[in-house]
Amino acid sequence: MSASGAATVTSSARAEKLEQLARLCRNGREGPPPRVEPSGSVNLDAVLPGGGWQSGTIVELMPMSDGIGELRLLMPALAKITHSERHVAMIAPPYIPFAPALLRHGLRLEHFWIIRAQSAADILWSAEQTLRCKSFGAVLAWPSAIRDREVRRLQLAAEAGNSIGFVYRSPNAARESSPAAVRLRLQADAVGQLNIDIVKCRGARAGMSVGIAPELATASAE
Amino acid sequence: MLWLCITLPQLPLEALQCEHSEKATVVTVLEGSVRSVVTCNPAAERVGLKPAMNFTTALAILPEVIAMERRLTAEQSALERLATWAYQFSGTVILGDIFSDLQRARTTALWLEIGASLRLFGGFRKLIEHLEAELGKLSYSYQLGIAPTLEGAALLARTGVRVAITTVAALRARIEAVSVSWLNLDPWIPQQLQTVGVRTVGLMVALPRDGVAKRFGPEVCNYLDRLTGAAPDPRPTYRLPPQYHARFEFEAELHNTEALLFPLRRMLREFVGFLRARDTGVQKFTLRFIHRDAVATVITVGLSMPDRSSERFLTLARERLEHTALPSGSVALELSTDEFAMPTGLHIDMLSGATEQSEELGYTIDRIAARLGENQVHGVQAVAEHRPEDSWSHAAPEDKRQHLDFPDRPLWLLPEPKPLQMSGMPSLTGAERIESGWWDGGDIRRDYFIARTQQGAALWIFKDLRDGSWHLHGFWS
Repeated sequence: MSASGAATVTSSARAEKLEQLARLCRNGREGPPPRVEPSGSVNLDAVLPGGGWQSGTIVELMPMSDGIGELRLLMPALAKITHSERHVAMIAPPYIPFAPALLRHGLRLEHFWIIRAQSAADILWSAEQTLRCKSFGAVLAWPSAIRDREVRRLQLAAEAGNSIGFVYRSPNAARESSPAAVRLRLQADAVGQLNIDIVKCRGARAGMSVGIAPELATASAE
Repeated sequence: MLWLCITLPQLPLEALQCEHSEKATVVTVLEGSVRSVVTCNPAAERVGLKPAMNFTTALAILPEVIAMERRLTAEQSALERLATWAYQFSGTVILGDIFSDLQRARTTALWLEIGASLRLFGGFRKLIEHLEAELGKLSYSYQLGIAPTLEGAALLARTGVRVAITTVAALRARIEAVSVSWLNLDPWIPQQLQTVGVRTVGLMVALPRDGVAKRFGPEVCNYLDRLTGAAPDPRPTYRLPPQYHARFEFEAELHNTEALLFPLRRMLREFVGFLRARDTGVQKFTLRFIHRDAVATVITVGLSMPDRSSERFLTLARERLEHTALPSGSVALELSTDEFAMPTGLHIDMLSGATEQSEELGYTIDRIAARLGENQVHGVQAVAEHRPEDSWSHAAPEDKRQHLDFPDRPLWLLPEPKPLQMSGMPSLTGAERIESGWWDGGDIRRDYFIARTQQGAALWIFKDLRDGSWHLHGFWS
């Protein structure tokens, strides 16, 4: 983590500059304008580039543990996408996405797909295919491992399909760099408030935290 | 009647091998005790090998030349596949004979009546352009001839006259100066004619008919009459089979997927020609890889909606093939289907973007299912059941809208409830008793709670009221 580490950081920073430049050059000449889905939280929208979940980007989500609201966070946007005639896919989810709960969150199940890929290669391939397909508005993937190069591939696929890629990663990944446009570390406190640490956010300041109050679980508990 | 003749001078080679090889390759045949070259690929021609050359001579020129044995059955299958493909351009297709003799091995032909198709395709030039574009993709070498008689069209194709001749008078004038060696006759006949100075078709036609008949046989006179339109030339037309079944025999065993893709690509293109001819599509088709010492490998390629795109068929078949372990090399490939269905996209309003989008969706889902397995891609639906594990099921996403009312449920469900050791009693909220199922033997009596962990995670847990044990069943994620 000395000289070579610093070199990697510089070169990846340069790569990112180039990508940004390329994106600027493409702007207006190619492809549809990005769509933005409000996250459902005003505080979060305020820090996200474009004011919400922006199509054509990869968002990395790094929850500290299962069951802290890592899926609920996306539900308002996913519900909206399925109501605008676009589809949502979950690739290799760790558990069964429970249909009665999805319905309660307003998802149209006829626009919802589960892809049970096993190997890391199949998961990334399926994510790339669905992101690239214009019929999908959002793709959620749980890859067992993912490298920078693969994040870039997904990024290109998301741009081509004008869709949003949500990639769930282990919290350890927050310490590494990644070309993803938005990187969020998720943790909850003892009463269930979800705290979102902005690890990286293109065009916004990283290092901020946004809190989202617990919703369903505690609401029904009262 | 106006006939378009497609001659296939390289069929003996191309029926066995459709990829372009850089290695000098020839097809040979044994006649009596002499082995001769029937056809050469371009690499062989470049070093000076020629059709009809003695194979011993060919070996002397290029010792490492690859020699394949001519196989008439492979040529017949290839010609039949081409005939079904050609049906998309014409309702009247005639198959030529495959001659076993060396001299006529390169004259195999196929005819399409195009007089009736001209208007359909928007004129002569468009029809030919369209046909040549499609024919080029099949990677056959071909020559075209157009004339009002079958033999006239074939003669023009063989001699490479790329002019459409539409009247018998123009045909007679056009072939007058053609050498008799081009005629579709036993080779000794033109040889004898040339020795007596009858070198051109015009001179031969002018000979007294009874003399020709006496010397060469009456069928030669009949041939000349059919050629020049003086006599009718009735032949059986090719009938499109009700089911599709095509076979491609390989010259050598093919061992890897890449090598199999060449014949597969050609077969799928021919198949799509057939589908166009029938004006239909398919939702599934079957590939059978024939092995020498093992049971054939059968791959059924399914699509989410009827289609007739050879590119999409190839992508799906390739995906399946790459994930199939073939027991050994393949000596032949068969493609068949007996169910046809009209591609939906072709008939719904083409301007509607929704159709295009759903087609793309179907294609993406098909590809993923082809790679991961059909059961690995699915939707979910809610089911009106009290037992949580039964209140959802797999479903095809397309066709349902649900308005079921459920109490609060967690977004993640565990596939099986997981036994929990409860040390001390955490604070529990959201109590809900679920009792159900006594009527079908699967009864449950559970008290569900939400338990909050130190990390702030919300667990969906229950106490089994029958034995007091605790289980984890989901996460409020």
